Amino acid sequence: MLLDVAIRYLLACLLAYENKSFFLVIFTQALMAVNERLRNLYPDSEELFDIVLMTNNHAQVGVRLINSINHYDLTIERFCMTGGQSPIGYLKAYLTNLYLSKDSKKVQEAIEEGIAAAIMFKPDVESQLSETQLRVAFDGDAVLFSDESEIIVKQHGLDTFFEHEKQHENKPLAQGPLKCFLEALGKLQKKFYAKNERLNCPIRTFLVTARSAASSGVRVLKTLRSWGLEIDEALFLAGAPKGPLLQKIRPHIFFDDQMFHIEGAKEMGTIAAHVPYGIGQKYNKGKLIEPEKQQK
Amino acid sequence: MSLDPVQVMKRQDSLPKTCPSASNGDSKASWDDSKDIHENVGSTKKPKPPKPENAVTIAVSSRVLFHTEKEQKVFEQQGIEEYLRYQVEHENEPFAPGPAFPLVKALEAVNNHLRELYPESEELFDIVLVTYNHANVGIRLINTINYHNLFIERFCMTGGSSPTGYLKAWHTNLYLSADTAKVQEALSEGIAAATMFMSEKQIEVSKTQLKVAFDGDAVLFSDESERIFKAHGLDKFFEHERENENTLLDHGPLKGFLEVLGKLQKKFYAKGHRLDCPIRTYLVTARSAASSGIRALKTLRAWGLEIDEALFLAGAPKGPMLEKIRPHIYFDDQMFHVEGAVEMGAIAAHVPYGIAQKYPHKKSTNTGK
Repeated sequence: MLLDVAIRYLLACLLAYENKSFFLVIFTQALMAVNERLRNLYPDSEELFDIVLMTNNHAQVGVRLINSINHYDLTIERFCMTGGQSPIGYLKAYLTNLYLSKDSKKVQEAIEEGIAAAIMFKPDVESQLSETQLRVAFDGDAVLFSDESEIIVKQHGLDTFFEHEKQHENKPLAQGPLKCFLEALGKLQKKFYAKNERLNCPIRTFLVTARSAASSGVRVLKTLRSWGLEIDEALFLAGAPKGPLLQKIRPHIFFDDQMFHIEGAKEMGTIAAHVPYGIGQKYNKGKLIEPEKQQK
Repeated sequence: MSLDPVQVMKRQDSLPKTCPSASNGDSKASWDDSKDIHENVGSTKKPKPPKPENAVTIAVSSRVLFHTEKEQKVFEQQGIEEYLRYQVEHENEPFAPGPAFPLVKALEAVNNHLRELYPESEELFDIVLVTYNHANVGIRLINTINYHNLFIERFCMTGGSSPTGYLKAWHTNLYLSADTAKVQEALSEGIAAATMFMSEKQIEVSKTQLKVAFDGDAVLFSDESERIFKAHGLDKFFEHERENENTLLDHGPLKGFLEVLGKLQKKFYAKGHRLDCPIRTYLVTARSAASSGIRALKTLRAWGLEIDEALFLAGAPKGPMLEKIRPHIYFDDQMFHVEGAVEMGAIAAHVPYGIAQKYPHKKSTNTGK
């Protein structure tokens, strides 16, 4: 069935609000580059990226959007102009694999409905990104994995966390909101490997985690393996700042659940997307936020 | 050269060190975050993560830290899929120590001393594992690290892409690898780097004092004098050195590393530990003292660098000296010397820099350039 097999990815309507959404353009271009390679290798397959533009706007704005899309030469043929309604229902109808938006409420709603979603942030400086290889970087806890370990750190401290991780080394972590998106990327990657294009694969995935390798790394790697997921590059930072490494990786998008890391990333020119999930949302730089003051 | 330790932490406010009790393992918090966590959560057994300062970052590859010859053969002869399968199969078998292993152990011993004397300081050694390997092999590497009781919490598994890009992001002060091409790439980026070799014979080294030995020309100093020697011969070389006695030599790729070692040594001196300082440095040069030694010593002095022991060999073989010194690592730009050292069981590393790379094993006295 078409919908089961096709991989879809939705964009929020940023083109309407900003002229220079260069990062979205680059992102879309990278996805289109992957599609082209896929079509070359598998001309009859429908397992491709599909981009749907979701916007709150009314149909009037449609003209301007279409003009922008054509100006950048993007292949976005599917629109959903909800005229004020919540897009969540449509996301489900489209079997969305990833929803990106600047609106935190909508993103949170999507996550609650089980759809991988993140809030996009524009980087403070521009950086050169690949036009031929899609590069996606993920944080570990509360993004690929659930926030169970994060809860232990915040409530019981590091010692308990390390002990807990060692004891449960062989028990896979529960999955987090972006696990399925990594899975979808992995499926596409395998199609390239099957045609002997492993070294030249136009999709590359990165794990950038603040975990310490020796003390808590094994559980993460074993979990990924039990899910049958490969990740191309794994960086265990043991608390070092993520900004400089992301600057070297130059991903088209970096997912993290903590605003602190998002800010560090965008300061150094990385396109960062905040995943508002898990216990990390209740803490700002280590302190519990009062419920009224809780921001996205 | 980006070896100035002051540059290590600018702009970022968290680059933690490897504490044996692994307090650097905060899952996702910054150093400020984790400080607050400790305050909110009550005391833990681990030392409180300090504010960021200088760290001496040593990046090692898995092939120099551990003995992976067998696996390397599998990779070369049977390809990557078989290699990955083999690694996963032997996941619970720890690797044997490699050439950089004693060095890493000694670095940790120095860290322990530093923490005793300066419990609040972050000026420590930090070891990062930077490897070509795929994440699947990570489990075996972590198991090995835990088996040998090492404290390496930072990993960079690049799954086939070049790791040198990440070295600068880690503010690496020294990069050790088994692959000369990667080392050369690092050197061209201004990062101190050297290739290490496995040897069958290995003499025992100290577990309490870190000993680092350096060649002079083309390692601590630039290869300018080496060029004169190779192009015009020994006499011309002596003349040139005498005439330029008071002109400083230009710096070489490992100068910055000696500098950071010196900074740490001074911390021990400040606490009255000069005689039993757990870091000791050696200059082992083929220069002749009377004919060309002054310029080397004056240069070091001008750089404000002290070196504990200086051996001017005037061409004598370095192997026997190194066997007596027993350094945890010896840096030389000429493979001839590195091989000689390794044959005698000393741990030697090749710095592929300078004119000597064009003249293997031969002393050429008249060549054009």
